[in-house]
Amino acid sequence: MTAPRTWQMALGFGLFFGLWYLATAVLALPRFERIPDPLEVLLQWVSRNPTYGFSIFTPDYYKHIGYSVYRAYTAFVLAVALGVPLGLIMGWSPLFRRFTFPVVELIRPIPPLAWVPFAILLLPGTEQAVIFVTFIAAFFATVLNSFLGVRSIDPVYFRAAQCLGFRSREVFVHVVVPGALPFVFTGLQLAMGLSWFALVAGEMISGRHGLGFMIFEGYSLAQYPNIIIFMVTLGLLGYASSAGVRILGRRLMVWRERQLGGAAA
Amino acid sequence: MSALRPARALRNPAVWQGALSLAALFALWQAAGTLRVGSFGDIPTPMDVGRALLEAAGTAKYWLNWAVSSKRVALGFLAGTLLGVPVGLALGMSRTMHGIVFPVMETLRPVPPLAWVPLSILFWPTLELSITFVIFLGAFFAVALNVLGGVAAIEPSFLRAALSMGAQPRHIFWRIVLPATIPAIVTGMALGMGLTWEIVVAAEMIAGKTGLGYLAWEGFVNGSLVSILVAMVSIGVAGFLSCGLIWALGHKATPWLKRTG
Repeated sequence: MTAPRTWQMALGFGLFFGLWYLATAVLALPRFERIPDPLEVLLQWVSRNPTYGFSIFTPDYYKHIGYSVYRAYTAFVLAVALGVPLGLIMGWSPLFRRFTFPVVELIRPIPPLAWVPFAILLLPGTEQAVIFVTFIAAFFATVLNSFLGVRSIDPVYFRAAQCLGFRSREVFVHVVVPGALPFVFTGLQLAMGLSWFALVAGEMISGRHGLGFMIFEGYSLAQYPNIIIFMVTLGLLGYASSAGVRILGRRLMVWRERQLGGAAA
Repeated sequence: MSALRPARALRNPAVWQGALSLAALFALWQAAGTLRVGSFGDIPTPMDVGRALLEAAGTAKYWLNWAVSSKRVALGFLAGTLLGVPVGLALGMSRTMHGIVFPVMETLRPVPPLAWVPLSILFWPTLELSITFVIFLGAFFAVALNVLGGVAAIEPSFLRAALSMGAQPRHIFWRIVLPATIPAIVTGMALGMGLTWEIVVAAEMIAGKTGLGYLAWEGFVNGSLVSILVAMVSIGVAGFLSCGLIWALGHKATPWLKRTG
């Protein structure tokens, strides 16, 4: 990180928070009256005795984080466990592809969030409904990218494997899986982002706990600083999750970075 | 062209197997519903949904919901694109702008658009504006980041060649940066369009009184799975059509790109 970079970044954040503070706390511009100012939010967030009941010192804050993390990760893991193999096989076997791809393409245009009412009515609890909707969002990104990953493999590799007498199982393990891995991880990153995206909506519409629910609760109960506290928390969790997937991807694909001469590092 | 000749198209395994699988899906769903297998007894059959869809298509209220949602998507999407393209280009062209603005954008980006709904309602005077603003946010980030990526991916030797031949910054912008980024603009717009339909549906469920998302929610409140499915199909069609429109316009705008598949 060079020196101009650092002060530019400081300037950017300074402007952002400065203008926000100016518009809300100092000038109280029209339309900004009900927007909490950044200082108030920060003080609430780190207060031992927060006015609206939530700060980094209250156990309830972590309870809601726990609910959201549990839902997002359950859905993500399910989506990966089902989506990656489905996508890989779809890309690998023409017969399987011709039978399954049209079905996937038929369902995919329906936005995951449009499933919310359907899921609540049909599944036994709102908990399952929220996880289901989150799963749908992550699932299609995983399937499609794994599928594209296999399709991106140079056919020469398949022919070479055949010439060397690989059986199908060996082709799958040694050609399909490693060849598709970069795309699979792109899919996982997208899926992680989409999980959090859909989770918030699911929790807002039908949740009883969780960060999305609390953001809306902050609005309904006029505890406006809580809205921002939970938005920031959500952003941090989403960011950390995506970073986790990225790091895992790099670890698993060290060979690829070596191939690129370390350019991707 | 072979798709135009039914006999030949049917001999193509990709076509008949795909058709077979879709037919099998609907037939199984219909049969499971009619025979009331397990919980399929509670789910409307494709026939029910089709009939309800036809019935809804005859009412003005249904098309009004289409119009309301489409208007929200169009406005939010347009605003997001109109702001996202210049911001992405500016961040890509100027190191100083990038240094100042990009870290702030990266900090805001992980917050899902729908988490902005309550704050948006607090800020904007009308519900209509709040929903449109959240749609705008989703489209803006998708477009701006794709455009930025597009600028960053420009072959540096093009820029160096232009510079060594004495090109002014405005020449570089109009002759190199803009044409080279059009594919990224199109991709960003298509991604953004997909997102906007997601967002409008959820925003209408959370805060709306009209629109296709509200139609699904109304179905939920009335406990009518048929209405929910009608709304879901409509939303799927709407999203599919608008993304198709963006890609079609994109192909027109980038005739030099090779198309595969």
